[in-house]
Amino acid sequence: MRAIRGALLTCDPAVKQILHAMNEKQSFIIHDLDDFHLLIRAEEEQRVRRELEAELEKNTYSLE
Amino acid sequence: MSNKRLAPEGIAESSSSKRPRPGRADDEYVEIEDSDADDDDRTAAEAALVPRAATINFSALTRKLAQERRTVGADDGLSPHRRQQNALVSHIFMDQDFSWLHLKPDHASRPLWISPEDGHIILEAFSPIAEQAQDFLVAISEPVSRPSFIHEYKLTSYSLYAAVSVGLQTEDIIEVLNRLSKVPVPESIISFIRERTLSYGKVKLVLKHNKYFVESNHPETLQILLKDKTIRDARVVSQANDTNKVATFTTAKAPMKGGLVIPGTKDADKKQDDAAKASGASAGTNSADADLFTSVVGVDADEIDEDDDNVHAFEIDDAKIDDVKKRCNELEYPMLEEYDFRNDTVNANLDIDLKPATVIRPYQETSLSKMFGNGRARSGIIVLPCGAGKTLVGITAACTIKKSCLVLCTSSVSVMQWKQQFMQWSNVTDRQIAVFTADQKEKFAGDSGIVVSTYSMVANTHNRSYESKKMMEFLTSREWGFILLDEVHVVPAAMFRRVVTTIKAHSKLGLTATLVREDDKIADLNYMIGPKLYEANWMDLAAKGHIANVQCAEVWCPMTPEFYREYLREQSRKRMLLYCMNPKKFQACQFLIKYHEDRGDKIIVFSDNVFALEAYAKKLRKPYIHGATGQVERMRILQHFQHSPEVNTIFLSKVGDTSIDLPEATCLIQISSHFGSRRQEAQRLGRILRAKRRNDEGFNAFFYSLVSKDTQEMFYSTKRQQFLIDQGYAFKVITHLDGLESMPDLVYKSRDEQIELISSVLLANEKDAELGTDVKAGEGDLAGTVTSLDFGGPKGKTPAAQRTMGSLTALSGAQHMSYIEQNKSANKKLAKEPASRHKLFAKRDRDVAAAKKEARGRPAGRARPGDK
Repeated sequence: MRAIRGALLTCDPAVKQILHAMNEKQSFIIHDLDDFHLLIRAEEEQRVRRELEAELEKNTYSLE
Repeated sequence: MSNKRLAPEGIAESSSSKRPRPGRADDEYVEIEDSDADDDDRTAAEAALVPRAATINFSALTRKLAQERRTVGADDGLSPHRRQQNALVSHIFMDQDFSWLHLKPDHASRPLWISPEDGHIILEAFSPIAEQAQDFLVAISEPVSRPSFIHEYKLTSYSLYAAVSVGLQTEDIIEVLNRLSKVPVPESIISFIRERTLSYGKVKLVLKHNKYFVESNHPETLQILLKDKTIRDARVVSQANDTNKVATFTTAKAPMKGGLVIPGTKDADKKQDDAAKASGASAGTNSADADLFTSVVGVDADEIDEDDDNVHAFEIDDAKIDDVKKRCNELEYPMLEEYDFRNDTVNANLDIDLKPATVIRPYQETSLSKMFGNGRARSGIIVLPCGAGKTLVGITAACTIKKSCLVLCTSSVSVMQWKQQFMQWSNVTDRQIAVFTADQKEKFAGDSGIVVSTYSMVANTHNRSYESKKMMEFLTSREWGFILLDEVHVVPAAMFRRVVTTIKAHSKLGLTATLVREDDKIADLNYMIGPKLYEANWMDLAAKGHIANVQCAEVWCPMTPEFYREYLREQSRKRMLLYCMNPKKFQACQFLIKYHEDRGDKIIVFSDNVFALEAYAKKLRKPYIHGATGQVERMRILQHFQHSPEVNTIFLSKVGDTSIDLPEATCLIQISSHFGSRRQEAQRLGRILRAKRRNDEGFNAFFYSLVSKDTQEMFYSTKRQQFLIDQGYAFKVITHLDGLESMPDLVYKSRDEQIELISSVLLANEKDAELGTDVKAGEGDLAGTVTSLDFGGPKGKTPAAQRTMGSLTALSGAQHMSYIEQNKSANKKLAKEPASRHKLFAKRDRDVAAAKKEARGRPAGRARPGDK
């Protein structure tokens, strides 16, 4: 019996696709639950959030 | 639109509020005591408003301010309570904390605030005197952003240059600013204005009797210029003042004064020109402009123009005019160019006039009065929105100058449009107007006339055909009274310079709708043509019904998971195809078309991408036009769209951006566009600004951009909107279209259909993903204006070489030959005998076999000797 600490992420389908793409580089997804939920490793959560933020920021236009 | 959930977005607001307002901190402390005192003054101010004329009625304001000063009394020091309050909030503004600027006691009734650091001016557009303040600010500064309530302007060197060129004086500018400002005008701004206006506009370059004169009201300025070697060398010294050439340049004084036309008489003439116009308003506007700035200051007009002052001038050599201009710019004395066309006896007059039925709108007249303000033609740029009648402004200017005129536009299509407009609005005859394009090379009959051509035809330096060479000689050999430059913002600087130097023109007028350059080289225009003379306020024109009221919306369409997965995988241009072909976008498009068709709107759907255009149009069963559509078919479709109630929607590719005029359209949907081009966005909006039904009660035109969420399109879309936002348009963001799911026969509803769609997209060529591939630039069209392929590409590149991708077979001409390798059936191979040996060897084999047989039959010992 082996237990892993996990975190449940709720996201929209598009973000889920980004996460899947990130997962291919460095694996962190434990299980793909449904269209809106993912179970990921708890220790990776902060890094994933950061990278996701950076990814989404690319599509935002700022005045400066 | 009630059945849509609109999520109001902060874009519009954010653009205006990106600069913190220090006044905000004191908002609670605004004294309201002026409310009763100025009621009558305010109505007086409003009544005095000549219909949208450029008058600034300041007497009312002055009286009011004086009144308040009496009541409030002078208390400059801040109360301790207020001081404390400032300390509490000042840290929020960091280094933009300007609370040390003392507010004037009556600041509440003054509408603007000036940033001491960068010359930004924030105007309260809701103030009762905002309209007058706006007129003043437009003259001295550049509008940055003009949403409904707070406007932002910026003082720049060029705007001050423009202010001086329309006759404003340094001290007047400072004084009026001081009157309007909530805080005393900061010292830094005053010195900035002084510094800039000291040199700008003090020197004029005048072409008279075909000689160039450098002219100035200030002899000391000319002294400074003459100390420079380049300019001194260029000077032509006449016999009369040969003796004391360095000291004086009073030569031109007497003839100058004789030649001057007072604005009043000019106005009178002009009024006759526009006979159809209500005479009162016309006179009001014109003369209003003349006393605009005199009344502002309340001082007599002696310093305004050359009317009372002596004008000093010296002549310079034609050939060295470029050097002098350049040198003057380096010396920070840029020359204004003016054309005294009424006294030009050398160049033949062109007898054209506006047709009596032609009516000029007030704002068009204002813009022209800026150009002809002192009876001469100033060079400069006029900025009017698409659909607001730029062409008519140009034509009226040409009819006022009445000299030979050269019109330059960007493509051969607009050449024909200009010609047609000239015929429509003015009484120019067919033989007075000529066209010079790749296909047509005409000359006008007589001494003077109009030539319409494209920039690249004139600026072309490569080898030309014999005919165009002759035509160019014709163009360069003569002197033009007036050169009209259409769409000035798109012309590459190098090309412009070539045009300006090869063609000798007395005055230049640039016209444009969007004074933004994707390469931000606006400053070049200031130097090459002249200052911005007039910029219309879009919102103002919309409010007055000259252009349509437009509701702008950005519709966010989520990507389906399948599409988004492919989008993330794809790195190339195909990404674009994926976000265009997003099934949710299809659905949103279908829904909006249905919704607006039911309302009775006529809809244009724009797509830069031809692949997507065809896919959408076919799926939704609507007619479409792109570059490959034949002329006959095109006409038929357009005719149906205009007249038949059956056809309410058409799909257009980039061809529709410029060359198709459809005043019926009232709704516009964008599904794919050219990256972040602000100009294209404005151009497309222009398609519905001239909507025929714009004056109907409560009429709104609609402008939708469909954007796929979480893709690059979001970035581009926001960037594209910036220009329109600065004009005061607010984009609503629609995140969800209500009733979309329940719509009958919705396309791509099931997952299977969506997957089918994605496989078709993935199969599509790389080339399909490119934009605007259907429109071919003709010879003489400017790069980037017709096709979008080389929009913003390296400037000055001529589309000489055509590059196409193709396989080697295609290039070698073997594309349609097929070679198939067919495997032979294994059965046949099996049935065949191995090839038989040659007879000679077969016989030998037989002999050998027989011999062996024989040998076996005998005893071994005797066999050998007996063999053979």
